[in-house]
Amino acid sequence: MTEQAFRFGRAGHLVGIAGLPSAASAQTGIIMLNAGLVHRIGPFRLHVAIARRLNACGYPTLRFDLSTLGDSAASDESLPRAQQVRADVAEAMDLLGKQAGCTRFVLIGLCSGAENAHLVACSDPRVAGAIFLDGFAYRTPGFLLRHYLPKLANPVRIWRFVHRRLRPSGRIAAPDFGVVVPPLAQVRAELADMLQRGLKLCFVYSGGTSEYFNHRRQFRECYGAVASHPGTTLEYFKAADHTYILEGDRRQLVDTIERWLLLNLPQVTAGGGACPTISTTHLT
Amino acid sequence: MIARLDAERPLFFGADQGLFGIYHPPVAPATQAVLLCPPLGQDHIRSHRLYRQLANALAAAGMPALRFDFHGSGDSAGDSTDIRWDRCLADTTAAAAELRQLSGCDRIALFGARLGGSVALAAAANVKPDRVIAWDPVLNGADYVARLDALQDSLRIDTRRFDQARTAEAAAGQWQGFTIDARLRQQLAELQLEPPSTQVRLIESALPVTTSADRQRLIANGATVTTLSSSTPWEELDRLEIAIISHELVQSASGLLREAT
Repeated sequence: MTEQAFRFGRAGHLVGIAGLPSAASAQTGIIMLNAGLVHRIGPFRLHVAIARRLNACGYPTLRFDLSTLGDSAASDESLPRAQQVRADVAEAMDLLGKQAGCTRFVLIGLCSGAENAHLVACSDPRVAGAIFLDGFAYRTPGFLLRHYLPKLANPVRIWRFVHRRLRPSGRIAAPDFGVVVPPLAQVRAELADMLQRGLKLCFVYSGGTSEYFNHRRQFRECYGAVASHPGTTLEYFKAADHTYILEGDRRQLVDTIERWLLLNLPQVTAGGGACPTISTTHLT
Repeated sequence: MIARLDAERPLFFGADQGLFGIYHPPVAPATQAVLLCPPLGQDHIRSHRLYRQLANALAAAGMPALRFDFHGSGDSAGDSTDIRWDRCLADTTAAAAELRQLSGCDRIALFGARLGGSVALAAAANVKPDRVIAWDPVLNGADYVARLDALQDSLRIDTRRFDQARTAEAAAGQWQGFTIDARLRQQLAELQLEPPSTQVRLIESALPVTTSADRQRLIANGATVTTLSSSTPWEELDRLEIAIISHELVQSASGLLREAT
């Protein structure tokens, strides 16, 4: 495996690192999108860990910075943000196609990265799968019951709740990754369309989403038939935080991503066979 | 003159091509270049933007600059458990050689924030820069290790981050998102920097994190101090994932680096 640095894109404004396995050509490439404002290495270097694990399984990867993030510059076009993201990711896919022969792609994104993965997966036919880390979810009656009922039964929690409301703390707010949440009906329809087109979708939620997601059951409450579709996978790591700051949590996530890819979008190399480097270590 | 941002050149270099860097060429032929030594751990991620701004400011002022990642950090090869103090010094020497070759400048200056500043001070003996500019460098490793241990302990029980407090075992051997090898920990715990024989400028945040005895030793050896008007939240749990931004630092550091030696 080798890693190569690239400056690419319509204005030469994008910077990315491609991880290229030794096989001359591979069908499925992995594109990793920025999590908020963190540059392409990802929170606590998560994207580097994912990329190198997947490279070892034969998947070419590209971790890159979208326009104006990390080391990438602006494209000097006056495009709406959504259009710019689509164009940037399309050029990332072009690059990995050229460098590694990939013809289909899996997008991986955390938080705003999941939002952008969703945006691109809606429209680009080269996207064959997506892994949404703390992507869209919506509060449901079940969520509200699970969220508030334990508080009502606990006087200490009630006191803390009232105290917080009456005396706002001087603490710094959690990082705002600038995610704009579209209406549930729109997202549900878009996900259903992706599945209809044959995409494989993996949704991973962490305990860091407890303000809007607090149980596996909520996924079905939100998305109905999308949740039970065979192309859909759900994982919920309640103990982990939003950015996987602990090594054990990060390893569990990387294991999950590797396992999901090997099962759902196994690599096919130039010779037409499945990648021989599949490890069963993490499949148990 | 304004440096063209698309002129920034990402590259891999070093003996095994395992070190990642971004070279910022100057807008006009230059006589002195600047090597930007990164901090380690979460400080590295938080200050990425600021380093880029500083490198662009230097290039626009006619000073080529190279940003790079130590082995085991950023986009460079290796895992965070591979990071060693002595390897960081060797990487700095390799990066200085790369910068001299890329820029054609024999004269270089070193800049570094936090542990990047410490590395710059320690690597000066080998790199032989005209000057070192260190922003809030870690001068006493034992204090630093103790503070990061305490921060990690606070982090694991922070129920604004975790649904439930995590066990000491789950957080052991790590500092704020990065696994730390016992040998690096030991190297940092024993770190006590000797003042280099080159010109040293300390840039200190309004509330310095450098202990006074170590600071005084540097000043007694000729280091001069520039104080910023505001503090920098390096070791605050609430701001752990918020970027370090300081236009004052960029202006101050680029101004100091442009001064004639």
